[in-house]
Amino acid sequence: MRRRKGLSTSQMVGVVIVLIIIIAAAALMMRGGEEATTTSPQPAETATKTEEKTPTKTEATETATETKEKVKIIFASTQLVPVEEQAFVKNQLLPPFTEETGIEVEFVGISYEDLSTRLESEMKSGKVTIDLIGDLHGGLDYFASKGWLMDLSQFGQLPDRSFPAILEDYSKLYGIKAYVPWMTATYVFVVNKEAFNYLPPGLTMDDVVKGTDKWTYDALLEWAKSIEQATGKKALGFPVGPKGLFHRFLHGYLYPSFTGTQVKNFDSSDAVKMWQYLSELWNYVNPASTTWDAMADPLLRGDVLIAWDHTARIKSAITTEPDKFVVVPAPAGPKGRGYILVIAGLAIPKGAPHPDAAWKLIEYLTRPETQVLVLKNVGFFPSVNEASGAITEGPLKILVNGVSNQLNAPDSLVALIPSLGAKGGEFSQTYRTAFKMIVLEGNKPEAVLPQLADELNKLFQETGAKLPPPDSK
Amino acid sequence: MRINRAYLLIAPAFLYMAFFIAYPLVEAVYLAFFEDGGLTWSNIDYLLHSPFSEFKNALKYTFTITAIVIPVETLLALTVAILLYNRFRGRDLLLYLVIVPLTISDVAAGLIWYSILTSNGFMNNLLISLGVIDEPIQIFGSIYTWRMILAISLAEIWRSMAIVFVILFAGIQMIGRDLIEAAEVFGASWFDKMFKIILPMIKPSLQSALLIRTLFAFQIFGVVWILAGRNIPVLAGEAYYELTELKHYGVAALYALIIAGISLTLGAIYIRMLRAKHLEVYA
Repeated sequence: MRRRKGLSTSQMVGVVIVLIIIIAAAALMMRGGEEATTTSPQPAETATKTEEKTPTKTEATETATETKEKVKIIFASTQLVPVEEQAFVKNQLLPPFTEETGIEVEFVGISYEDLSTRLESEMKSGKVTIDLIGDLHGGLDYFASKGWLMDLSQFGQLPDRSFPAILEDYSKLYGIKAYVPWMTATYVFVVNKEAFNYLPPGLTMDDVVKGTDKWTYDALLEWAKSIEQATGKKALGFPVGPKGLFHRFLHGYLYPSFTGTQVKNFDSSDAVKMWQYLSELWNYVNPASTTWDAMADPLLRGDVLIAWDHTARIKSAITTEPDKFVVVPAPAGPKGRGYILVIAGLAIPKGAPHPDAAWKLIEYLTRPETQVLVLKNVGFFPSVNEASGAITEGPLKILVNGVSNQLNAPDSLVALIPSLGAKGGEFSQTYRTAFKMIVLEGNKPEAVLPQLADELNKLFQETGAKLPPPDSK
Repeated sequence: MRINRAYLLIAPAFLYMAFFIAYPLVEAVYLAFFEDGGLTWSNIDYLLHSPFSEFKNALKYTFTITAIVIPVETLLALTVAILLYNRFRGRDLLLYLVIVPLTISDVAAGLIWYSILTSNGFMNNLLISLGVIDEPIQIFGSIYTWRMILAISLAEIWRSMAIVFVILFAGIQMIGRDLIEAAEVFGASWFDKMFKIILPMIKPSLQSALLIRTLFAFQIFGVVWILAGRNIPVLAGEAYYELTELKHYGVAALYALIIAGISLTLGAIYIRMLRAKHLEVYA
């Protein structure tokens, strides 16, 4: 009797344990699902909820009000897909447009693979349902190469706004104006102002903030050395954790700066020099970097004074303590100032049912006020020059200034993330593995790189993807 | 008639097992060993030879952590269970405190210990303010393998000792006081009571506790992921990473099968080794 009772207790405990584990696993999976890909900022980072006034009307849309008709367009986007971002799009971004023009918009958050498949089948069947596509440059490049996109130059110029030359340039593909630049994102260095007390000789705060030719990777090394000598602190930090974006620093910042390319010169002698440099720099990097996924917290805790990360992932450090930090451009290497620019664009597929309504939406989405609304709520940066003027003060200004200083540096070497689809993870892992074997485990770069270069080339062969700029320029 | 009803009664359990265990298992085998309809060893080849694969390290660290965590927490849980066998003031409160970690998920436990042990965490701040150390002790980072293993073990022991404790405590409660009293009447020493009465009688509980904990130890993931990222690769973490980051579905399935294989083997060994011999004593 007793025994049976005892057993049932432990069985009950067993059931409770299993339940707890299941709940923990579910929590963990949800946590994992939230992780920001490099292109969509973490939803958790969409900190400031601002009740923004609806952007004011401009001339271009006044004509629209005359022809108020019940039109519903489909806007398929691979961007702003996370739940919080979709909520922003549906509740804040699009309603003013519908109110103004009478055009209803169905926002469809979709993965790149699904969009590509859907577009292909619609093109083949001749029944196009999508009116407007929002996607990254790489995806739009592919669609344009297939001849699926409309030449947007037929709609003429958008009033009261201008795009940075680099964005204008990239949006012209295969002889047509393939898309209108919509949003951008990038990765920057954030400096705790305390670090400026330990600048090495010959480097000024102005050099760093403006990104002059004195702000180089060698200067960064000297600076880190000088901080360590003065404070004993390993002041640099990078997000090398498993969900961190450190691989973007390797292929989009160091590689272009030292070798002029992301992929082509992967195992060149310039690359060997780059890895030797990084190994030396690593003496001044906080060793806990290998566990960090995002740099906002280490910056706020004071674990590091200089950190590199995606703008969305450091935004909260700047909004929390705007007086403490500055956002600065990436340093330059022997081949230029390499940095990644993530460009999202808006395109209209050929045969779209409502191209004029879609163009009106493009006009609305690229208004400076709308772009500021997007920046404030989801952390994507504007693609039009006039938007930065619309932000006057506050933490966002610090971010926008840093980003625009990086964008306008004369020795810019823009790197775009290649569109490898599901193989993107392996692309990143190649650089991370090289880092682990060379910098963390102390292997010779000459021994490690050739084998990994084969893996890298295989990825591009298997997927048929184009080498990304600056390799392909 | 009777037989039919028996089948009917086990049908829900059977269906559950078929749908949630057998079917995924078959799918996992298919993912791991078949590609385009044909048999393939490419996933095994990847596991053993690819520069991306952390399989050998994952295996090593999973076993290392298990080997540290299970004995220590079992010993601790046993000690606490024996201490709490006797009634005293504040026993209920103590009981409650020991069980609290049971309610905390592994991720939360990982986060708690991370904020304690990180270079600007509670531990370092306390030690610095007490003047014990001048510089914070770094625990996390790829160069501190053993410190991280220690931190993981600490967090895991703290979190899962409660499970072992609850099971052992339930077992120990079942031991009649008359048995202990009788032993005392016959002049049994503490040692005798421990090894001749208590331990043999809680063997079934010990068996379930060890079984459950060892099986879960091979699935350790959340705590490691939070505290050490991929610096300390473990089997379940690698399965997750291969699946979500690298989209190697076959390799992830292979990891799952390996974990299942290890669990089954160890489960069988435990059941064989710890078969209770003294159950008839009070049956």
